[in-house]
Amino acid sequence: MPQESANSGNLSVKRSALSVERSAAAAAAAPILSARSLAKTYLTGTQRLQVLRYVSLTVAAGESVSIRGESGSGKSTLINLLAGLDAPDAGSLAWGGRPAAADRRADFLGIVFQSFYLIPEMDALANVLMAARIRGRIGAAERTRARALLARVGLGERATHLPAQLSGGERQRVALARALMNGPQLVLADEPTGNLDEHTGDAVIELLLGLCRDTRTALVLVTHNAAHAAKCSRPLMLHEGVLG
Amino acid sequence: MPWYLYLALKQLFPSGRRFPFFTLISILGVALGVALLVISISVMGGFGHEIRRMIVDTQGEVQVKGRGYLADAAPLHAAIARVPGVVATTAYAEGVALIEHDHKPAYPALQGIDLDHVDAVIPLRRFVRLGSLDRLDDDSVILSSQLAHSLGARLGSRVELYSPLLLEKLKNDEVMLPRELEVVGIFEVGHQQLDSSVVIVTLRTMQDLYGLGRGVHGINVKIADGADPDRIARLINAALPPEANAEARSWIDANQDFLFVLQLEKNMIFFLLTFIIIVAAFSVASSLLIAVVRKTREIGLLGALGGKPSQVAACFCFQGFFIGIAGTLAGLGLGFVFLHFRNDMIRVFTQLTGSEEVLTRFYQFSRLPAYTAPSDIAMIVVCSIVISTLAGLLPAWRAARLKPVEALRSE
Repeated sequence: MPQESANSGNLSVKRSALSVERSAAAAAAAPILSARSLAKTYLTGTQRLQVLRYVSLTVAAGESVSIRGESGSGKSTLINLLAGLDAPDAGSLAWGGRPAAADRRADFLGIVFQSFYLIPEMDALANVLMAARIRGRIGAAERTRARALLARVGLGERATHLPAQLSGGERQRVALARALMNGPQLVLADEPTGNLDEHTGDAVIELLLGLCRDTRTALVLVTHNAAHAAKCSRPLMLHEGVLG
Repeated sequence: MPWYLYLALKQLFPSGRRFPFFTLISILGVALGVALLVISISVMGGFGHEIRRMIVDTQGEVQVKGRGYLADAAPLHAAIARVPGVVATTAYAEGVALIEHDHKPAYPALQGIDLDHVDAVIPLRRFVRLGSLDRLDDDSVILSSQLAHSLGARLGSRVELYSPLLLEKLKNDEVMLPRELEVVGIFEVGHQQLDSSVVIVTLRTMQDLYGLGRGVHGINVKIADGADPDRIARLINAALPPEANAEARSWIDANQDFLFVLQLEKNMIFFLLTFIIIVAAFSVASSLLIAVVRKTREIGLLGALGGKPSQVAACFCFQGFFIGIAGTLAGLGLGFVFLHFRNDMIRVFTQLTGSEEVLTRFYQFSRLPAYTAPSDIAMIVVCSIVISTLAGLLPAWRAARLKPVEALRSE
């Protein structure tokens, strides 16, 4: 009897260890982003407008995906759903194998917007650090990382400049640094070059792709620019709410 | 520091700007309201404090009065002196009389004091401006300052005092000559009513004028520092022999209605002036609401970066709180500075307008009194900060309701 009990105990430990290993393996194998059958409909007056029609998307770790589409095709709506900023009418969303949730956004995601959205009362460094502040972690390590990111995007010497003192391209580069501040596993970029001239836009895209490559961060880039879309490892088209 | 507090301070004091206009105006609004409250409540408190002090200084903390007059005060003195908390007693007699000097009559109140014991109970010496209490005897008087001025009497003048018994004597076909007394002192309490119509004589003089014999009208009682006047009055009442036909009342009890009105006036002023702070708070709320509208996309960004609605709300609420704190501190400083220099300012104003006499005549005091009770300051501080914080509530609620996706889409 004691022999059997000992064996039962060892088996229990082994089963627990195996369970942990399987969870880690499952997490490691899980796509960074898994969106299944996302649908979104807007009500405008009495008219129902189905913007997204059961869109599914899977993004692996380190992968870059571009989503191109015409104006009104639902690109921004899709990005908002993927970021968890809006709730789909149907479908599910998972980040890193676990359901997307607002309290995970700061740790998991970085977001780059078309309009930069820098806080005008704060300088470039403070804007980058804002991402860490919201996460509740602000210390010497974070400040060092923020300075390094600003240097990486070519604004090391502009850290104390306010957004009003920066050009459009420079502001977007600050926004890139902010998006990467918390070491996200996924960056969502919604038309990051939409408000920039062609030359500046090209530079920003190169910087974005380079940064994501260097940090092995997955990227979903929404753009209407074919050249920019083609630079990603998997270009997709969104047409009338259908992703293909 | 939590991010929402950091952001609130950054919005109040943006980098690169020396004078944040919105912040300064908002703080100034609250500061002015607080300063006005501090000044008004302190002056009201000063009036009240002066009046209370004057009552105590001229009547004692407890008065034992006879229903009629007290024929023999000695046993009462003994009974009162045995009560714990009683420090000293002095008898008095009071009434009105006709006084005349240089063909000018007046009808002041007369106070007959026991020279042997009055110093232990009532600090009369402090109020004697000319002459001396030591020179007062049965053939002399001390006049209040304005009464002396209106009679044209000065130190050494002789005044004639007509007793109310004159009428009684006339009924019996007797003529009672007035008492001729020398003015040996002029006193001034600083209260117009007392300074214009009070005459001090010895107790014996008063007893003669009123035919009291050895009787008195009452006994003033001095109690120990910190003792409760109402409690001592109750103890004295319990100790008085029933046949004394007398009753002890504290100065608070004796002036209940007056003190109630004083406190009511003070409370009403506080209530009304608080509206100034409420107006300032509305201004703060309005400015913060405009800020919420202007910063709609920023609020959306904060949500997108992971900020919770409650944290976004706290950012705006804290701005109201901070403005309240800063405005309150500034207002307290402004208020205390004004109070420190209030009499200088009043003097300049009255000199410019020639209205010094008017001020004394109508406001009873020649200098503006001020007394700032810690409880009043605490109330002002709490009200100001609470009202300012509440001003941030509506903008905070509005900010918290914004959904990030809608806020980011906002034009």
